[in-house]
Amino acid sequence: MSTTISLGSSVRSEWIKFRSVRSTLWGLITLVILTIGIGVLVSFAVRGHWSHASFRDRITFDPVNTSLSGTLFAQFAVGVIGALFVSNEYANKTIRTSLSAMPRRMTFAFGKITVLVVSLFLITEAVCIIAFLAGQSVLSGVTPTGSLGNASDLRAVLSAGVYLTLLSLLGLALGLILRHTSWAISVFVSLLLILPLLVFLLPSNWQNDVSKYLPANLGQSMTSTTVAAHSFAPWTAMIILVVYVAGLLTAGLMLLVSRDV
Amino acid sequence: MIHIEHLTKRYGDVTAINDLSFDVRAGVVTGFLGPNGSGKSTTMRVILGLDAPSKGTATINGKAYADLKSPLREVGALLDAKAVHPGRSARNHLLSLAASNKIKASRVDEVLEIVGLSGVAKKRAGDFSLGMGQRLGIAAAILGDPQILLFDEPVNGLDPEGIRWVRDLFRSLANEGRTVFVSSHLMSEMALTADHLVVIGRGHLITQGSVAELTANAKSTVYVRSSNPNGLADALRSKKFEVSANNEQSLSVIGATSDEVGELAHELGITILELTPERASLEEAFMELTADEVEYSGSPSTKKAVTA
Ligand SMILES: Nc1ncnc2c1ncn2[C@@H]1O[C@H](COP(=O)(O)OP(=O)(O)OP(=O)(O)O)[C@@H](O)[C@H]1O
Ligand SMILES: [Mg+2]
Repeated sequence: MSTTISLGSSVRSEWIKFRSVRSTLWGLITLVILTIGIGVLVSFAVRGHWSHASFRDRITFDPVNTSLSGTLFAQFAVGVIGALFVSNEYANKTIRTSLSAMPRRMTFAFGKITVLVVSLFLITEAVCIIAFLAGQSVLSGVTPTGSLGNASDLRAVLSAGVYLTLLSLLGLALGLILRHTSWAISVFVSLLLILPLLVFLLPSNWQNDVSKYLPANLGQSMTSTTVAAHSFAPWTAMIILVVYVAGLLTAGLMLLVSRDV
Repeated sequence: MIHIEHLTKRYGDVTAINDLSFDVRAGVVTGFLGPNGSGKSTTMRVILGLDAPSKGTATINGKAYADLKSPLREVGALLDAKAVHPGRSARNHLLSLAASNKIKASRVDEVLEIVGLSGVAKKRAGDFSLGMGQRLGIAAAILGDPQILLFDEPVNGLDPEGIRWVRDLFRSLANEGRTVFVSSHLMSEMALTADHLVVIGRGHLITQGSVAELTANAKSTVYVRSSNPNGLADALRSKKFEVSANNEQSLSVIGATSDEVGELAHELGITILELTPERASLEEAFMELTADEVEYSGSPSTKKAVTA
């Protein structure tokens, strides 16, 4: 066996770090509870009001997106998981130990990225499928329902997992750039909650054009089975979000390589 | 071997290291000594490739740290005993380091045994005392069985038994032919631990040499009590010795030997009541060397600060 450090050895090292702290476990438990719990709650609410729903509400109703409502809350949990995975190392200075053991900083970072993406992708896909199935069983018999056998429904459900995975990576990128847990989480939350409020202050004829570019709205586009007015088609939305994440990640990697630790 | 050449490190306006050059050789314990803020930790971070030098180089066996193929097998370092995730167990901390350099998990249990942490290996590192943290840091440093070891203030927080253990460990690592580089701001500690010393102040080299050489160079002091202290003091001053009066009868003569003081007194017919050579301790040698180089010197009175 070669004893030279490699991406493989970086991944193994980061996997041990990822699974050996409680913050990861709590973050994942929160993710599961929010995604499934809120999806079920919202589905129950829709089911209860269905008889009073207007014609317009009925024809635009998206049972898939409804059952995935929990992702709007779970996105904060995955952001925190991603940010902490990096910012923790700066907070307790283990970054120095880590980079002494793995001085090729890109290899170090890609080890982290691999562990985060693979584990979050598997978990969020599973959780989103469960949320979808639970939501449909709540809605069934009252409202129209979706099915995983339907290509656009399947795409929307799987996209929800992709959305959450991308947002965890966004958290990681902010961790790399800002290096402080509280700053990274504040900026992450601002991107999702404060930015939409700022868009609201723009002249009204601009708002629709700008707001469809907001990360949370891209997520809505990705997880819908119908294309709503003033929003992107699902694949376009996913590509735009990938560009955002790749841009921030590139900035984070460049700073990681060039800064003192 | 560690080779430092014309190393300069600036952080904005602060020059932490200033044109520093020295070598750390194998087979001896080299003490890295300097007052607080003199640049010891910065030098260690530059050696490990964590901070980039503003000028100059630091190399490990001729290579930049970043070019090492299996860093933990070549260099082991303890920078900060508190640098562990508080929620992670000691064993998982070491396992993650071992995995990064493809070191077998059995070696983790081995080093835990060596540093005496086997019993608490599965406990959260956040609950460790500072001394236990130092032991964990030392375990991480020796994990890859490296030939070169760096320790930044390793005895901080250790009890006397722990300090002894660390000293013996450094000694045996050096006896095995390894390069051992240990920083401290305490000369007395270094006197017992190191063979060779590199002394810095305000980021530049003040002196280096063996512990014996450095103490020998320090000025000695002679304490003398006599029948005519004033007459003796004048005579000594005229011979360019530095003299200070301790009380009515006694003097301290700096830079003189007891022979010189005794003979002078005899010539003047002064009766010597007491004559004691005070060999300069390493601590004094250090204070003398770094007197002009101390960055943060405390005010002698602490009372003023309270009322200010
Ligand atoms: N990251 C940094 N940013 C700015 N200044 C720094 C940084 N690191 C060190 N310094 C400054 O460089 C100087 C040297 O600091 P360093 O920590 O290397 O000293 P030291 O010899 O290890 O001191 P101590 O005995 O207190 O540990 C100090 O003036 C310190 O304030
Ligand atoms: Mg220091």
